Amino acid sequence: MPVITLPLTYLERLVGTGRERILERIPMFGADIERIEGDEAAVEFFANRPDLYCTEGVARALRGFLGIETGMPRYRVGRSGIRFTIDPGLREIRPYLGSAIIREVSFDEDSIASLMGLQEALHWAVGRGRRKVAIGIHDLDRVIPPFRYIASEPERSFIPLDFSEEMTMDEMLRRHPKGIEYAHLVRPFPKYPLIVDSRDNVLSFPPIINGELTRVTTDTRNVLLDTTGTDRRAVMTAVNIICTAFVETGARIESVTIGDEEVPSLEPDRRSVSVKECSGLLGIELTPEEMADCLHAMRYDAFPEEDRITVQIPCYRADIMHDWDLFEDVAIGFGYDHMAPVLPPTCTTGRPHAVMELESSVREIMAGLGYHEMVPFTLTNERVLYRKMGRETNPDVLRLMHPISEEQTVVRTDLLPLLMEALTLNLHRQLPQRIFATGDVVKGDRTHQTVAGVSMHRDANFSEIFATVDALCRELGLPYRTIESSDNAFLGGRRGDLIIGGEERGVFGEIHPAVLNAFGLEQPTAGFELDLRAVPGFPGRRGTPSPGLW
Amino acid sequence: MELTQNEKRLLAFLGERGEATPEETARALSGGEDAVIQHALLLQEKGLVDLQTTVVERYRLTPEGERYAAEGLPERQLLESFGERTELRLLTAHPLSSIAIGWMRKKGWIRIRNGIVEKTGMAPAGMDELALKDVAQGGEGARELARRGLATVDRETRYRISITEEGRKRLAEGLDLSEEVETLTRDLIVTGRWRDVKFRRFSVEKIPKRVFPGKSHPYQRLLEEMRQILLQMGFEEIYGDIVQTSFWNFDALFQPQDHPAREMQDTFYLDLYRPLPPGWEAVRETHETGGATSSTGWGGRWDPKRSEQCVLRTHTTTLTIQHLARHPQPPVKAFCIGRVYRREAIDPTHLPEFEQLEGVVMDRGVTFRHLLGILKEFYARMGFEDIRFRPGYFPYTEPSVEPEVWVEGLGWVELGGAGVFREEVTRPFGIMEPVLAWGLGVSRVAMIRLGLKDLRQLYRSDVDWVRESPIYMSMTKERGA
Repeated sequence: MPVITLPLTYLERLVGTGRERILERIPMFGADIERIEGDEAAVEFFANRPDLYCTEGVARALRGFLGIETGMPRYRVGRSGIRFTIDPGLREIRPYLGSAIIREVSFDEDSIASLMGLQEALHWAVGRGRRKVAIGIHDLDRVIPPFRYIASEPERSFIPLDFSEEMTMDEMLRRHPKGIEYAHLVRPFPKYPLIVDSRDNVLSFPPIINGELTRVTTDTRNVLLDTTGTDRRAVMTAVNIICTAFVETGARIESVTIGDEEVPSLEPDRRSVSVKECSGLLGIELTPEEMADCLHAMRYDAFPEEDRITVQIPCYRADIMHDWDLFEDVAIGFGYDHMAPVLPPTCTTGRPHAVMELESSVREIMAGLGYHEMVPFTLTNERVLYRKMGRETNPDVLRLMHPISEEQTVVRTDLLPLLMEALTLNLHRQLPQRIFATGDVVKGDRTHQTVAGVSMHRDANFSEIFATVDALCRELGLPYRTIESSDNAFLGGRRGDLIIGGEERGVFGEIHPAVLNAFGLEQPTAGFELDLRAVPGFPGRRGTPSPGLW
Repeated sequence: MELTQNEKRLLAFLGERGEATPEETARALSGGEDAVIQHALLLQEKGLVDLQTTVVERYRLTPEGERYAAEGLPERQLLESFGERTELRLLTAHPLSSIAIGWMRKKGWIRIRNGIVEKTGMAPAGMDELALKDVAQGGEGARELARRGLATVDRETRYRISITEEGRKRLAEGLDLSEEVETLTRDLIVTGRWRDVKFRRFSVEKIPKRVFPGKSHPYQRLLEEMRQILLQMGFEEIYGDIVQTSFWNFDALFQPQDHPAREMQDTFYLDLYRPLPPGWEAVRETHETGGATSSTGWGGRWDPKRSEQCVLRTHTTTLTIQHLARHPQPPVKAFCIGRVYRREAIDPTHLPEFEQLEGVVMDRGVTFRHLLGILKEFYARMGFEDIRFRPGYFPYTEPSVEPEVWVEGLGWVELGGAGVFREEVTRPFGIMEPVLAWGLGVSRVAMIRLGLKDLRQLYRSDVDWVRESPIYMSMTKERGA
């Protein structure tokens, strides 16, 4: 979630109160103060509130929350008479365009930085890495309307931002840092999006880079905003958030004509909600007037009518999708710290899951046998699971499509190899070492449980581990039969398979010296693994949810 | 100063003799020499006896030395084989010449000039020749023979034990020499002889040998503790598969298909596809338009194909929603503790797999305040008495809350997230009552409880850590103490 740097002196001026009061209340508004350094506070705001990704937006919200200025802010939009046309060739590439003219802007270095910060945060939160929305801000006085949003040949060239020479759009994708970063968004298309003015001067190559021509400086007085993207709602949200932030600094907004539509409107949305439903959800009895007060503090307009309230939602609040989204704001306006916790009357009895109970019993048995538990990771690799163990790769092993390291490429199918790995880590610890693990293994798409144990010391041998496995099976109520095993992880003539219910469910024996060598171990080691599906009634009385089945 | 029975006996014996060798002592006290020396050392530490050590060298002739003892050293034999002078050429024909000529010259018995060997007339019997006759006497001659490989030496340490003034004083104070028994045997018990013997006293100050009970991993014990708390609070336990479809992991929880958490960078995707469950259309409807709820939905098109791809579950909420979908009738109180997966590089605060705990309460008329009540109770049971609630944001709950608990030394610590499941999550599955839900990164709690700074340590396979971690660690004790 974005961390926004708030210049405190500026924020105090915009909010109209001291920083102590602001910083004390910010957590209860729904934000996390990461740190305060000098005149700046770094505050994390939530992913659903992009309107708070700039100091101006935060100040607007806090004025309501602190009772300084409540109710919905209203915006006047003049008509600029400027037209912006969209090339139908963009329909499959990047079809949506939003725009606005922002007048009487007074930039300084700080406000340009703040604006860039908002732009970047919006690219992330609303734009999903510029795919859904990309934002361009231009010095309007450097170009001549009307403007055209066109699908251009990739060979077209202009001077991109931060460069001094012309290059083609294709070159930008190879050479410009932003081009390299976002090339994947346009590469699949034969033509690229481009914004030009009436004299064919290039303003922007969305979503990659603006032209140097319309760079915003402290001298800029009038701004042209363009937002392009693949999702109409997101494109308009970005326009609304940026325009209303500019208004907080004293600028004026004018609309642009796109097709037959005047953009933006900055008109509020409306929702009629039930007071009773809200009280019922929150567990606090609210009168319509009390609920309206809470909404005012959260910068809505609210008009109570009997049991319902008509709420006007400012255009920058893109997160209000459902009535409950408003009820949450009622709760925040009411104050989470004013809501008394109370236990629900729901009466139920606790019930453990059979699989977890089984694992608990296995732990009790193994601890009783003197073993210490390990909790190895479930992600591992084929080298540990199979190659070092002298075993064939399990055909059901589940491989990750995009592993993060060579150490973790598959999900474990067995626990015994991970215990061998654990012994390596404990090479210099006092002997004897007897360790076990129990838990999930995955084969194909199914998860089940096994238990494995190893005993390493000078006299570890077949008889010891056979006795251990025998005790474990007896304690689990598992009648078993043994046959000689052919598992290469163990020494020939000193290994057995456990046959339970006619199926091979476990293996035990002396670990093969070649395996000990592979793990860098120096002492005789005996080990076992038992599939807990062998336990009668597994996995217990409740079905296990699995993919595709319910 | 407490003396053992053996020490007392040794001291008493030396009181009579003044001084003695270990052999004599061992014979007199009918024990082993090594034991005598051991006890003498202990008494010496207490200043009661003096143990003198001398090293004795014992020489023995080698078979070659034995032969020369009979026939004379090679140089003596060769010297006597010729008159006043002879030619070197003739002398070198002698079988002993290779050893003997060098020694004759070295001892100054001969001079060699222009191939002629001439006796100097000075050839007295040396120390070595004397030692050859009685090598056991040792001395410089014997050492010389040993250097030539004609004798071997055994070094033997000899002890002499004598009583000190201090020892005599202690003796004068009197010693109780009655029989001491080390081991209580069956025989002593059944015959009643135990009444007549004195048992050796064991020191209560000596640190015992460390032994360790077999046990669960410290982290596992904490998980079990939390599990028990939830069972006691009347929750039913849920368990399920690690591999889940994107449908159950994301879509059923109203996560938009373009949500950043669904991207390849954050989630472990699998080359595995499973059909969607019956009724999936209601989920599509809700995503696109809000369906039967007051929601607008996310808009756009929802693609069932994207939902079929399997992932390693990124949260246990995937199990919770499936449990609720199968049990849509109230009341339901359920919890789950399970491993979840995120595509994160390993560092001190991130792991690609970790445990999550999650609980839900679904019932007619339950409210957000009830959720706060459950959170307060749950955290209090885990030993976190001071709790506060802040607004939060989670994609599938509304309203949402972040509980924070007070931890001495750390301040307010965020310990999870909670909220009421959005209607967009519950309605498609016919769940009509509010679902209060909370989740908790268990590892965070475990790190606070176990005093760890690095998340990786929680999962470390360190036998000594398991051995040394006490089984009993009360949640409240740890914090209150």
